[in-house]
Amino acid sequence: MSALEIKHLFGLRGVSKHDIRLILDNAKQFREVLERPVKKVPSLRGMTVVNLFFENSTRTRTSFELAEKRLSADTVNFTSSNSSVKKGETLVDTLRNIEAMKIDIVVVRHKGTGVPKFLADNSNAIIVNAGDGAHEHPTQALLDMLTVEEKLGTLEGKNVTIVGDIRHSRVARSNLWGMTTMGAHVTLCGPSTLVPRNTELMDKVTWETDVKKAVKNADAIIALRLQKERMDDALLPSMREYRNTFGITHELLECAKDKVLIMHPGPINRGVELDSEIADGENSVILNQVTNGVAVRMAVLFLLAGGRANA
Amino acid sequence: MRNMVLNNVRPFIDGKFGEPTKMCLVDGAWTDTAPAGTDEFDAKGALALPALFGLGLDFKEPLRDDIYTFRDGVSAMRRGGFFGGLYESSANPIDDSQKLTAMQQLASKSGLEFAFLGAFSMGYQCKDLSEMVELAQGGAVGFGDGNQNSARTRFLRLAMEYGSMTGGRFFFMPLDDSLRHHGLVHEGSYADTLGMKGIPRIAETIAAFRILEMARFLKVPVHFKQVSCGETLRLIDLARTQGVDVTCDVDVYHLLLDDSCLFDLDSHCNVQMPFRSAEDREALWKGLESGVVDAISMNHDPVLRQDKEVNFEDAVPGAVSLEVALGAIWKPLSERLGAARAVELLSTAPARLAGVRPSAIAKGERTDLVLLDQDRACKVVPTMLTGKVRNTPLLGKELPSSVVGSYIGGEWTEV
Repeated sequence: MSALEIKHLFGLRGVSKHDIRLILDNAKQFREVLERPVKKVPSLRGMTVVNLFFENSTRTRTSFELAEKRLSADTVNFTSSNSSVKKGETLVDTLRNIEAMKIDIVVVRHKGTGVPKFLADNSNAIIVNAGDGAHEHPTQALLDMLTVEEKLGTLEGKNVTIVGDIRHSRVARSNLWGMTTMGAHVTLCGPSTLVPRNTELMDKVTWETDVKKAVKNADAIIALRLQKERMDDALLPSMREYRNTFGITHELLECAKDKVLIMHPGPINRGVELDSEIADGENSVILNQVTNGVAVRMAVLFLLAGGRANA
Repeated sequence: MRNMVLNNVRPFIDGKFGEPTKMCLVDGAWTDTAPAGTDEFDAKGALALPALFGLGLDFKEPLRDDIYTFRDGVSAMRRGGFFGGLYESSANPIDDSQKLTAMQQLASKSGLEFAFLGAFSMGYQCKDLSEMVELAQGGAVGFGDGNQNSARTRFLRLAMEYGSMTGGRFFFMPLDDSLRHHGLVHEGSYADTLGMKGIPRIAETIAAFRILEMARFLKVPVHFKQVSCGETLRLIDLARTQGVDVTCDVDVYHLLLDDSCLFDLDSHCNVQMPFRSAEDREALWKGLESGVVDAISMNHDPVLRQDKEVNFEDAVPGAVSLEVALGAIWKPLSERLGAARAVELLSTAPARLAGVRPSAIAKGERTDLVLLDQDRACKVVPTMLTGKVRNTPLLGKELPSSVVGSYIGGEWTEV
């Protein structure tokens, strides 16, 4: 069996096509496991995984926790709201204390860019990034890629359009790197205050301010969640104008291909970035994404742990 | 005072380095002979440069001596080859003459030459004016805001207008606080890729323009600290041609690093004025060449280990520089601009900006010098740094040259 070149999963920038292919192929196998009556394999038996979440998260943490349990790992949840972090403990001390309890893998979410790498530099544990600031959210992008492959057969040559708050989106960044590595063409679209101005490093993608043009040739559209804080920070005038300008609506999809996939990392602001009839419509693969999330996370944990047993 | 004989040393005289020679240093001056039994040091052909002058020193005493002490700073200066510096306290704004006197007393024991910037407002709050006339009479060479950039335009006008009575220069690190917002790094491709909040160049140029207009209107001399982009240099150049008395410096690290260092996510690269793009860095070098930039500054700002050994965005900004600056900058600087201009930028010009007599190497005169082996590389390790801090972006990196020792104020320091 082939092994991953990476030792930790910090993000998808710089991750090779080989590694992404390996994760997606393994995830497909785990996807089958999830359809069995007994949805559990012994791959990580005896290993301990800590879910170290410094930011609120329900679905990502649940998805990771389920993935860990399906792999028979022992899991511990650690959230900042009930931890020594509230008492002023530093990040490194928190990690070292947890590590002293002999853990093997740390899944971390934090508001700060680069925290997963920082933890890896300061510990011996395997680190998996579950979202760091606006930097990367690699497992979300991997599950997005798995979903596109599952529905369209391949990413190679497919057009994927990401619409919304690109500037603050770790999902967009991870998808940008991962999808382009796998041969897809990515188009980014959003309000001018929510897209990065400096694109030299993002020259692999197409930028489009007109959402109708952005979705015209898309095989898949990923709508990003619009945070209410963006209005408070004067980056946008109103949810209403955003919906009318960039929302994925029935009218907008008349400009797109009939079979275009509609995706969203969740949770959805219905009636803002995505209309309900679209979110629940026949093109929507949002719940497939959720299922694939568990499979992808199983694959990531399994492969980073060294693929010690066959799925 | 300690006498010293330096053998095999190449002193910088009249704009160039002489052949290896013997220097007798007696009671702080270069003399023809030294008393019998004077300690000798073989410099092995090292360069003897006039000791440097550091702009932007903040040793944290008295209120934050848990971070760093004045004694630590003086030790760092001697190890780095600095005979003096311009001090501006962030922890304890020098906003009255008692504080100024206390700092002057502390400095007087060091044997080094310090100049002090007073605060133009009480506590850097930019609400009440400080007693600038008394501060100037007490020896403050100019006024600043501790890099707070919080003065509203009317208050800035009143402060500069009142301060104009003293003839003192106003020092600013130009950065518009509103445009800076929550930014930490240069707003550019690297910040975009990393998803980090950026500080655009216009945060600097807009702040600089406001101050230049004020300086033009009130006829008050101003100085810009840590200019980080070419656009600001163009504004300064233009203002000079229109008669504004404006000087500026660039930070030593801004000449060595650009925002590509962000990819390492090393919290030591989290500094107050962000490292900008490679093009900006080149523009700063061109500013040194053209003469728009008056001096290279040090901005020695100690930060505790626990405040740096965190992820980038949670780190306290700031970097120490005194011990590593010369070894890092000498070679690229002297190779590009020549030794004479390099000495001017690191020693003569910064001292003049602070109203301090520059150091020089001349027989029969007081001599403060630093010995540099320009071809001996050295790695920056924590033991090179004074005190409890180690917050330099060059930690673990190799410097092209090494400081060997210094003779400053009649005191020999071997590094």
